[in-house]
Amino acid sequence: MISDKHDDFTPRITSFLCKWCSYTGADLAGTNRLQYPTSIIPIQVMCSSRVDPVFLIKAFLSGSDGVLMGGCHPGDCHYETGNYHTRRRFAILKEIFDSLGLESDRLKLSWISASEGPKFAQVSNEYTEQIRKMGKNPTRKSVFL
Amino acid sequence: MNSIVMKQDASTAIRELLAYLLSSSRVDAVLTMRQVPETGSCDLGLITDPSGMVEAEPFLPVMTANAGQALSSISMSGKRIAAVLKPCELRGFTERVKREQGSFDNLLTISSICGGVFPLEKVISGDLEKLVPRYIEKTARAEAPRGLRETCKACEEFVPMNADISVSVTEHGSLMHLHSDRAEEYTEGFEGERIEARADQSHIDRMMKSRSAAKGKLFQSLEKSSGLDGLVDLFGKCVGCHGCSRVCPICYCQHCDFESINFDYNQPYFQESLEARGALRLPPDTILFQLGRLTHMSFSCVGCGMCSDVCPVSIPVAGIFKKTGERTAGLFDYVPGRDSEEPIPVMVFKEEELGDIG
Amino acid sequence: MAAVLPVGSDLSGAMNRFLKTILEKDIVDAVLMPMKVPSGDSFAWIIMSDSSIVDDAEAMAPVMPVQGARALRSLTRKGEGSIRVLALMRPCEIRAAIELSKLGQVKTENLILAAYDCPGAVPMDSFVSDPSSGEDLFRKMLAGEDVSAGEVKPSCTSCVEFSMTDADLHFGHFGLGGTEVLLIPGSPKGMEILEALELPADRETSIWDEAVRKRREKQVASRDAAFEETGENIRGVQGMLNVFADCISCRNCRAACPICYCRLCHFESETAKQDPNSRLDSAVTRGGISLPADRMLFHTGRMTHMSLSCVSCGQCSDACPADIPVAQVFSFVADRTQKAFEYSAGRNDGDPLPLRSFMKSELSGIHEMVSDAEPGGHAHE
Ligand code: SF4
Ligand code: SF4
Ligand code: SF4
Ligand code: SF4
Ligand code: FES
Repeated sequence: MISDKHDDFTPRITSFLCKWCSYTGADLAGTNRLQYPTSIIPIQVMCSSRVDPVFLIKAFLSGSDGVLMGGCHPGDCHYETGNYHTRRRFAILKEIFDSLGLESDRLKLSWISASEGPKFAQVSNEYTEQIRKMGKNPTRKSVFL
Repeated sequence: MNSIVMKQDASTAIRELLAYLLSSSRVDAVLTMRQVPETGSCDLGLITDPSGMVEAEPFLPVMTANAGQALSSISMSGKRIAAVLKPCELRGFTERVKREQGSFDNLLTISSICGGVFPLEKVISGDLEKLVPRYIEKTARAEAPRGLRETCKACEEFVPMNADISVSVTEHGSLMHLHSDRAEEYTEGFEGERIEARADQSHIDRMMKSRSAAKGKLFQSLEKSSGLDGLVDLFGKCVGCHGCSRVCPICYCQHCDFESINFDYNQPYFQESLEARGALRLPPDTILFQLGRLTHMSFSCVGCGMCSDVCPVSIPVAGIFKKTGERTAGLFDYVPGRDSEEPIPVMVFKEEELGDIG
Repeated sequence: MAAVLPVGSDLSGAMNRFLKTILEKDIVDAVLMPMKVPSGDSFAWIIMSDSSIVDDAEAMAPVMPVQGARALRSLTRKGEGSIRVLALMRPCEIRAAIELSKLGQVKTENLILAAYDCPGAVPMDSFVSDPSSGEDLFRKMLAGEDVSAGEVKPSCTSCVEFSMTDADLHFGHFGLGGTEVLLIPGSPKGMEILEALELPADRETSIWDEAVRKRREKQVASRDAAFEETGENIRGVQGMLNVFADCISCRNCRAACPICYCRLCHFESETAKQDPNSRLDSAVTRGGISLPADRMLFHTGRMTHMSLSCVSCGQCSDACPADIPVAQVFSFVADRTQKAFEYSAGRNDGDPLPLRSFMKSELSGIHEMVSDAEPGGHAHE
């Protein structure tokens, strides 16, 4: 379809971040003036398990170059077990993408606690770089999706 | 295993068993395929009067609705029901029971080693009369009849997994295997020689061979449509009727999320999408529905093939769902419908699993 | 009176150019029209603001996979917006959109509804199984050549509203030998488009009028024959049972119908569910029942809910996996229910929906009407 594999574009990474951990981690990165890229478009959710995988698919099909799901570390979910469920659902989603030959690397799950500002910055920088290498999501231009 | 030798053909024997269960008041109703002799029309009958058994065709190779779905709510009536189910229907029912949409409490399930069913279009066009005799001949020899549903040709789960009674038809004759106490209890007094026997393994092995080969072929043909373009090739012509989910034994939601107001958009949404890509399909979210349904239920797909059969634009929905479903279920060593005690993978978790996914 | 659009080599192409022009000139913000899907065996509704994409689209598609009114519903149901869209559709799609606007499901304020002389559509299943024959067939239909009735959607062979609807703009091409298209404005909105393009509506239309009249005569005859046949087939309870004998309750007919807009159909809701115990009781009373249950209730119930707005588009038949002539039955019933109120679905003539209005004194002959429907019946007092 299109081959927008230039290195100079700013990817759009829709990021679902749980309020108690990852979102706070992102905040902390901000207040500590740690650089994290403008590619990250944060959406605050109460818990990673609030996110139906369909949200991630919607973001993917709507042209997000990457989709990031951030939650508390296993065992630390504020609702006890939410993120264990998230992990299973995410695994299922990745498997579906792989089985259909879709680029499952455009989906990422990451555990980032409230105190891990630097980790947030690092994950988002690395992921942005990875996505930049992959190029724009071809769903951006597909008319039939 | 305790088994009853059937003197006549399997259909007649089961018809007699069902009539016996009704007339001896062991059950209040019987669920079975029927065929109206005059018109050839087939349907699922819930029969309470033993005289209605003349129309019963328990092993008709036809699935007008997944009987697991049809049985769902009436199984919770508290009345005793004997249900003849194809293995995938029984598995579909089992998946529904896990979702609190049915109950085994008052149920006697009867299933059989399944030769597969014909697609609806063949049933509707009146080809059945010609097809069925050949079907019976071929399946008795463990050969694959022609013209079956694609997912039936490729079904490796043709031996019932948790039926009370299972029927096997082999060149050594027809047997009724009694798998549970309930089966023993209900068949007490029913005529027929009791022997110790299992289904003929070599028969099963031969069937499995052709099924596995067909499955390999089916999956391979689907592999050709890979990636985003492949996805659009597969589902681009979907008209969004959602017939596939309505006839699916697993999709039990009364109001499907994808038909809810959650997927209605306001004008700014359309405006932004148009600005971003210059064009947009209407109604939107056709392919989102397919991927979304896969995430919601693929691990429970029993490969019954209903979805393909009702698709007005002939999308091989069932093949896709079966293929992807085997992978999503495989992540958790889950086999849909194997055991009603086995929890649905998305309802449970292990603290240590799935490696370094996060 | 009409404006004239010259046709070069092909009709559809000329209409495409027209749509492209109005996009380029910013007369509308977007155009909604069919586009062939990449697999080549169907079409999808695409709304486009980028005029270059129009080149890949097709003004007139051989098939009607999704009733166009459904596309408009998804676009406008949540409220009016500011995007001005011209939608080019078949007459039955426009008529369904007008019905939906009366039902509050389509907002027409910013829509320009455009229709064309429709030669009928190819049934979906035959097109999917052999697209290139389907395209050939449609070319013949467009050119006015004789094709066998069995190849065309049954609803189309008995459609009498194949031309002028209450669209804002109509593309008339019947009887013009494929050399030109008449642009007939049907409303001030349509007129504005012509004005913006500086196309004067000064052509007299008698040749086209005559061609449409002739075709209508033929269509009326075949519709009457179809009604007669359907009337015979569905006579009495047994007739209905026979026609719907193979129904598997998939509800595709409802899902494909443009008029059935309910998100959760009553017949699929909790309200319509019989509790399992009384279901078994009714099985006991009759010695047995057919599952899934309540098929007749569904079909006759749907008739009462929507037949007054049925536009006879045939989508229900096309979507039925059991090959039941659903549309023929619904058209037949709709013809009678609409006549009872002198209502014609899809007309933008200010007539309110019959079920949303009443007159204090009306339907005095209701008893007679009921008796008419019963063969050999006597008038009830
Ligand atoms: S039945 Fe076919 S056309 Fe209808 S929603 Fe499913 S895949 Fe799409
Ligand atoms: S997805 Fe299709 S094949 Fe799988 S269980 Fe549902 S209807 Fe059967
Ligand atoms: S009932 Fe059938 S013919 Fe009538 S509007 Fe609905 S889909 Fe069209
Ligand atoms: S589409 Fe056909 S089979 Fe399905 S409910 Fe309607 S009439 Fe019955
Ligand atoms: S609260 Fe953070 S993942 Fe549940």
